[in-house]
Amino acid sequence: MAQQDLINSIVREVMAEINGGEKTVSVGSRPSGGKLNHKSDYPLAKKRPDLVKTPSGRTLDDITLDRVVSGEIKAEDIRITAEALEYQAQIAESADRPQLARNMRRAAELTKVPDVRILEIYNALRPNRSSKEELMAIADELQNKYSACVTADFVREAATVYEKRDVLKKDW
Amino acid sequence: MAQISEAMVRDAVAEILRKMGDGGSAPAASSPAGEQSYSTSDMELRETGEAKPGTSRDEVIIAIAPAFGDQLKRRTIIGVPHAAVLREIMAGIEEEGMKARLIRVWHTSDVAFVGKRGAELSGSGVSVAIQSRGTCLIHQKDLSPLQNLELFPQAPVITLETYRNIGRNAARYAKGDSPEPVAQLNDQMARPKYQAIAAVFHIRETEFMDKSRRPVDLEVRFK
Amino acid sequence: MAKRQKRFEVLDAREVNQDGFVTEWAEVGLIAMASPSDPKPSVRVQNGVIVEMDGVKREDFDFNDQFIADHAIDASVSEQMMAIPTIEIARKLVDINVSRTEVAKIFSGLTAAKIAGVMDSLNIVEMAMGIQKMRARRTIGNQAHATNLQDNPVLMAADSAEAGFYGFSEIETTVAVFNYGPFNALALLVGGQVGRPGILSQDALEESIELELGMRGLTAYAETVSVYGTEQVFVDGDDTPWSKAFLAGSYASRGIKMRFTSGTGSEVQMAYANGMSMLYLEIRCVMITKGAGVQGLQNGSISCIAVPAGVPGGIRAVLAENLVTTCLDLEVASGNDQTFSHSPIRRTARMMGQFLAGTDFIFSGYSAVPNYDNMFAGSNFDCTDYDDYLVLQRDLKIDGGLRPVSEEDVIKVRNKAAKAMQAVFQQLGLPRITDEEVEAATYAFGSEDMPSRDKVQDTKAAQEMMKRGVTGVDVVVALAKGGFKDVAQSVLDLQKQRVSGDYLHTSAILDQNFNVISAVNDLNDYQGPGTGYRLEGERWKEVQNIRTAITPEDI
Repeated sequence: MAQQDLINSIVREVMAEINGGEKTVSVGSRPSGGKLNHKSDYPLAKKRPDLVKTPSGRTLDDITLDRVVSGEIKAEDIRITAEALEYQAQIAESADRPQLARNMRRAAELTKVPDVRILEIYNALRPNRSSKEELMAIADELQNKYSACVTADFVREAATVYEKRDVLKKDW
Repeated sequence: MAQISEAMVRDAVAEILRKMGDGGSAPAASSPAGEQSYSTSDMELRETGEAKPGTSRDEVIIAIAPAFGDQLKRRTIIGVPHAAVLREIMAGIEEEGMKARLIRVWHTSDVAFVGKRGAELSGSGVSVAIQSRGTCLIHQKDLSPLQNLELFPQAPVITLETYRNIGRNAARYAKGDSPEPVAQLNDQMARPKYQAIAAVFHIRETEFMDKSRRPVDLEVRFK
Repeated sequence: MAKRQKRFEVLDAREVNQDGFVTEWAEVGLIAMASPSDPKPSVRVQNGVIVEMDGVKREDFDFNDQFIADHAIDASVSEQMMAIPTIEIARKLVDINVSRTEVAKIFSGLTAAKIAGVMDSLNIVEMAMGIQKMRARRTIGNQAHATNLQDNPVLMAADSAEAGFYGFSEIETTVAVFNYGPFNALALLVGGQVGRPGILSQDALEESIELELGMRGLTAYAETVSVYGTEQVFVDGDDTPWSKAFLAGSYASRGIKMRFTSGTGSEVQMAYANGMSMLYLEIRCVMITKGAGVQGLQNGSISCIAVPAGVPGGIRAVLAENLVTTCLDLEVASGNDQTFSHSPIRRTARMMGQFLAGTDFIFSGYSAVPNYDNMFAGSNFDCTDYDDYLVLQRDLKIDGGLRPVSEEDVIKVRNKAAKAMQAVFQQLGLPRITDEEVEAATYAFGSEDMPSRDKVQDTKAAQEMMKRGVTGVDVVVALAKGGFKDVAQSVLDLQKQRVSGDYLHTSAILDQNFNVISAVNDLNDYQGPGTGYRLEGERWKEVQNIRTAITPEDI
């Protein structure tokens, strides 16, 4: 576990640098080594509105009823970003909830995966649905196509356990 | 964990069911088994080989759980003979001009998975699944296992007429219609009265399951 | 007996004797707590990895064991915490001098068998004391069910509005007929925001459909994401800890709140308890939830309640499972949501543990409709029990999450919700809602008072609405164009929650101004008298003010 965490955190740092890391390091002064803190920064919408942006770069205040009715803002615009989920993960971590933080980081990666594909991968992970090769291919896809490394490892872990516990696809 | 012998389980179940039967429950709670007469009360089931995917589009599969029809007491949780139940479902299917095909699923006792397997083998892609306690659903092959076209989760309130309607609706779905769902009673007091007993019932049925056996076709003769 | 003793004849006719009771049958797991087959606590950690847990070696782990060992338990403190005597941990739970944080830290390193032992050391009052301290959010909450036998969307919107108006923080629906799912979600979204801006709504359906509704913004959270304590039952539930954890990540990736669901009795109900006690298996479910990184859990037996309730000590075990959830620092939506008894005395006693201690959601949920319309097969309390519940709050000076309401106000919100629903249907091109239906829904007791609708047309339109890709944002537009700007704004504010992600944190609810209240900014700080949440001030005045109380001026 500890080793995996270390690897995960390195992967995360590298990833953050690749995907527009400048945005995540340049924002204001933050307590505890640059990470957000549940006491000073939560709720983000109230205490750090500067950090809350939609995928198209709008702030929460930009999302008004008039703009929605006029069609200027669409459903696709009202979505969370990987950055916001990373901030929330930091808040969860500072509140001593490491598992919650890990889930938020997997979620950050999945923001890039389309709805339809999410549903397909979920169904593929259900018992007796996929062969080991199929699960490994999904893991590779997550890693290569969406840079979802933490989630890819999670799927690989599932494939190994499914093989051991006989919940891979049967031939009938 | 220590293995429990079949005999031990049988004894324990018999004892529990006996206690449930006379455990001071009010008259309404007692099962009508034996008190009511049914035109069809028994049947013979004969296996005719492994069930293959059907090719005829007018076939609706009735998939029965491992103990249905010829094990345990051959009655549902409220004492309706399995033979009468099956006859009604078949009649409902046939009334709509479709053919009922009977199979038994061995590898699971879960009604959803029984139904899903039945639907996959059904020529029309539609199946009715039923457990020994009487829990029932209509399944369709393109749905995921825990989805269904219609679910009848409260076995104690399903009447023979409802079973016939279930057969009829399954046939209509098979023909590509969108029928009005079968009306069901919703008795919130079924749970307090029957849930613990239903659990024992399902445990008993599950003991007849055989994970390695594939579904088989059945021939039925009503008596 | 030829001649009956008259008192026994009267006793036989009492409601409690309609309930089904069974004796313990430990071999198949029909036992509430402490089965002889429950494992003995143990843990061994090597190089930061748990290599033995509760007597099972790593190579023999089933998938639940492995998930718990690798994701739920903090291996770095496990050996240290497991070394603390069971009775000492139990005492820390009720000791006001030991903080919530300290207890939570201990539990982060415990195995399921150890936790089961701690629970078995507590009597029921001590369990309630434990929940009072360990509950994650300081402020109490409650959740309602809004369903009906006909899946009538107009009635459902009116019922949702009434529920919101009574003060529920969350509202949940499910279907009588599967294909109605999207309409039911819509009814709760629109009706709920009419009743009380900020109420969160959900639609309990098959897992992947539920996720799709969430992604569309037609629901605000998800709950019916079930986990199970044994491997075989998990497979019969068509999932694994990994598929469920992936689902958890999927919800969060769309900024949607979610919790898992589990409960004592499901494993034995599904015939694979492997001889282990209901509580032991449920503790494993709580740990899987924690390991998946989900913020909370609905438990308290839930749909299997009549199974633990049928065996000795079952209701105590049900309170214990809620307590375990809080000790693992998770939000708890604490059951009380299913009919389990014919007896009103027994129904009230069953909810006392959660009601007295206070939980994140005392009911999950309380039936905001008559039980005959409750498609979760009935709740422990329904809309005919509202006044009893309000009086219990007032008698005991307890915040149960509800507030007294007047008939005039309820008529108003029900009518507005039905009209808003009518407008949305019109704007979205869905089958017409007539004025007669609006009127009926406003004054209805239940679905028997509603004119019937064309269900074939409705279900077709509901499926078509999904195919067209209708979203929460389309609902906002429909409301605004239909003349309900305030409701449109509320639905939009709800959609905006999924941009910041603040409500993804433990025990999050929204106030009527859409401010997040969670176990981050409202962490429970109970540590004995004079601390924690107290019912006082304006809120206590509100609770006192039941509609049947006579004032001096009335005389």
